[in-house]
Amino acid sequence: MNTFEKLAQIDRRIIYLILFIVVAIPFLFKVQISMKPTSDVVEAYEFIDSIPEGSAVIISIDYDASSMPELQPMLEAILRHLFSRNIRVLLMSQWALGLPLGQEAIEQVAEEYDKKYGVDYVVLGYRPGLQAVIINMGRDLPATFDNVDYKNRPLKDMPVMEGIKNYGNIAVIIGLEAGSVGDLWAQFANSRYGVKLILGATAVVAPDLYPYKQAGQVVAILGGLRAAADYETLVKHKGAATYGMASQAFVHFLIIAFIILGNIGYLASRRKRRS
Amino acid sequence: MKREIPLLITFIAGFLIVVALFIPHPPFNKIEETFNSWYIIVAGFTFILGIDSLILHNWEKIRRRSEGWPFALTVILSFFITLIWGIVSGVRTGHIFSTNSTFRNYFYLYIYVPLQATMFAILSFFIASAAYRAFRARTLNATLLLLTASIVMLGRVPLGNVALIPVISIAVLMLLWVLVDELKYVTSPTQRLIYIGIAVVAVVAAFPITKFLYHNLSPVTDWIMNVPQMAAKRGLFIGLALGGIAVSLRIILGIEQSYMS
Repeated sequence: MNTFEKLAQIDRRIIYLILFIVVAIPFLFKVQISMKPTSDVVEAYEFIDSIPEGSAVIISIDYDASSMPELQPMLEAILRHLFSRNIRVLLMSQWALGLPLGQEAIEQVAEEYDKKYGVDYVVLGYRPGLQAVIINMGRDLPATFDNVDYKNRPLKDMPVMEGIKNYGNIAVIIGLEAGSVGDLWAQFANSRYGVKLILGATAVVAPDLYPYKQAGQVVAILGGLRAAADYETLVKHKGAATYGMASQAFVHFLIIAFIILGNIGYLASRRKRRS
Repeated sequence: MKREIPLLITFIAGFLIVVALFIPHPPFNKIEETFNSWYIIVAGFTFILGIDSLILHNWEKIRRRSEGWPFALTVILSFFITLIWGIVSGVRTGHIFSTNSTFRNYFYLYIYVPLQATMFAILSFFIASAAYRAFRARTLNATLLLLTASIVMLGRVPLGNVALIPVISIAVLMLLWVLVDELKYVTSPTQRLIYIGIAVVAVVAAFPITKFLYHNLSPVTDWIMNVPQMAAKRGLFIGLALGGIAVSLRIILGIEQSYMS
């Protein structure tokens, strides 16, 4: 076996080791790469910027720990933007184990902006039923959550819920998606009730949501870690996504390098077979 | 009657929900709201079915000492530890995910989250290895897929346009290598001429293509995602929706009964 042919058969453990090093080094040294925010992210940012102060938005945590590296920084950046503009936040989840991640982020960001639970934000909790929950929220939002927050405290006693009856009182729904719940938000909340939608999604899920954007059912789609990093840039608060982008960029380059090496090896072995 | 009554319930429920979509006025909107509330309650009960299935399946494995039974034991023990910890923590603090809940602060944040994140992160190693092994320019279709994937991968990250220069240079060199190699086995003069033509075009076009992509990588990536990608996706979505409508109608009309078995 010559050198070229060996390139087609690199041991997978070597690939794993190189990948680990390429991911770890930029993280350890906090390497940063400057980026120009993409048009989708700017669109989402400008839309949120145009919402009048005191309006209410819903954020739905439709992911769990496995998609946390991409979506948690996105959530934190969006929360910073919302709280800096004094917009009320109603946090809910369509994934049972996603809610605590949302709580974690909102408590941390609310503290930075001196926002109070029940006054500036509320955690509505999780309800099973996906589209049934979305449809019922459009008719009577508090009743869908049995008129209580996640700790069974009455919503009617909370100033944050003042004047909120259904989607008509919501400026935008921001869904952070790691699965197919984004489709349901577009199909039921937007199509039936006309509520504005911004969907943040993992890089794998984002392409599934593009048709809704092109059809005008979604204001903007925030796709993957890049969108999270762009949003961090726009809110001028660098976080995990900005630092993670260097790792992601280098890993993409590495994978392309591996693909090239694999193809050189493949072509060399094909040549040998033919001769 | 054991079959007729469920079929009748399905027909009435399905029919009313469809009517409510087109006539969102009383009494249909109220009926839909009530049905949705019932659905939310029933969806809650599916968790119990899931737990029942998990416990019985793993218990059976342990009882029979099937291969990998210690893993089944781990699943059952983990389930009960989580359940008991969650209930105790929930009762003590008012909600299992309260800020002072030990379930949230120790179990969820320091056991569950890292475990699940680790499981998912492992995927990146497999993806890198799989990309290396699977993305081979064996056919024209495979080559097109390979090129498109590379452009999107570079277009989605900062400095992608800088990395594009060596990538295109190497790709052109590889193409030349293949063409020169192929020429040895080609006897027809026309075919030889075509191969030489392709080589010349590749060399001449490499610079302007690289220059164009260097300045427009992001719009090109967006175009790939918004036009060819979306066209395929729309086709898929329309097919899925039509299939969904057909299956729903079959269920409502009682033609499809496999869900009852």
